[in-house]
Amino acid sequence: MQDRDVLVGTLLEDTCLTLEQLARACAVEREWVIEHVREGLLPAPGESPELWRFGSRELWRARQMLRFERDFEAVPELAALVADLLEEVEALRERLRRAGFE
Amino acid sequence: MQYKDYYQTLGVSREATADEIKKAYRKLARKFHPDLSKEPGAEARMKEVNEAYAVLSDPEKRAAYDALGRGYRPGEEFRPPPDWDANFEFSGHGFGEAADFSDFFAELFGRMGGRRREGPFARREAHFEARGEDHYAKIVLDLEDAWRGATRQITLRVPRLDATGRVVLDTRTLDVQIPKGVREGQLIRLAGQGSPGLGAGPPGDLLLEVHFRPHDRFKVSGRDLLVDLPVAPWEAALGAVVPVPLPDGSTLKVRIPAGAQSGSQLVVRGKGIPGNPPGDLELTLRVVLPAADTPRARELYEQMARELRFDPRAGSGG
Repeated sequence: MQDRDVLVGTLLEDTCLTLEQLARACAVEREWVIEHVREGLLPAPGESPELWRFGSRELWRARQMLRFERDFEAVPELAALVADLLEEVEALRERLRRAGFE
Repeated sequence: MQYKDYYQTLGVSREATADEIKKAYRKLARKFHPDLSKEPGAEARMKEVNEAYAVLSDPEKRAAYDALGRGYRPGEEFRPPPDWDANFEFSGHGFGEAADFSDFFAELFGRMGGRRREGPFARREAHFEARGEDHYAKIVLDLEDAWRGATRQITLRVPRLDATGRVVLDTRTLDVQIPKGVREGQLIRLAGQGSPGLGAGPPGDLLLEVHFRPHDRFKVSGRDLLVDLPVAPWEAALGAVVPVPLPDGSTLKVRIPAGAQSGSQLVVRGKGIPGNPPGDLELTLRVVLPAADTPRARELYEQMARELRFDPRAGSGG
């Protein structure tokens, strides 16, 4: 099957995904997201779940945690810790790049 | 279609226990983790490992796979007999899983309730509807595309139910227009381009995460552009206006202040990747010395040495 219409993409700004949209993009129940936010493992600006907005960083983090929980049966806190470390590695790599070392 | 030896993929024997399979999987999941692995093709290997584990960790799928695959070698041409799965009932996952795995997997296990539809739940399933799953993919663009926008071809594997209720994988090519001003890590949403919905449910979305291919001259940080700017010694010493070519082909004239040194940084606000707000252009000056390879060049260097009384190591204790 071929479909060759030109589709116009919409750029999503930094904090744009609702709870439902984040849950769908990770293929998890919204309760998984709520629980991780309530436990402080996933940052969510906004007071109540209806007002939470997530960006691509949170989507990346949620998908990482999900992978560690699923692949290694990691408890959520451990999955979050690994995600923290990966974020730090990425930030250090970024500093190396800026300094011209990579 | 080629036969896949899932036991070989995980490196376990056909008699391996569930624990041994889990252990082998975790070892490989660590080895090929896409964010940390230095192994070539880690992402592709991880997909194969995930597929093998999805089958071998599920007793129903493993039993069916064992019954069917006896006597086949990896890579050998394979065609399952019709209705081979009549005695197996798979309670596994749905569309999303099939999209990530191989044709071999989809052929064997990609059935979504096809037979169940004729069973006691037929009535309920007839009214069942659900939104299709979102798909998530990375897309690699050239830096120039952030200025000009771009049209990129994306090939997706889309699971579809055929008339008998089996999942078949269609290859679908989309031409996607990437808007101008996109930056590293940003998401692009293509509404309705994910998995089809079930029943009257709407389709999911396709989310693309943007990455830039490494550029010869420019580095990118958010919307900021970082570039080395080679300057002559007299441009750095006396100040100058020098041209800086930008990724979109245009040229920006930048004033170098007198007394600049190699390693000095200049920031030109708003001249990075366009957007709201646009990024900055960060220039790192690199003083390049002319070679003393002609009598006249040597003479000029010797004159400077005599007349400038310059000690680059003054204050360094050397």
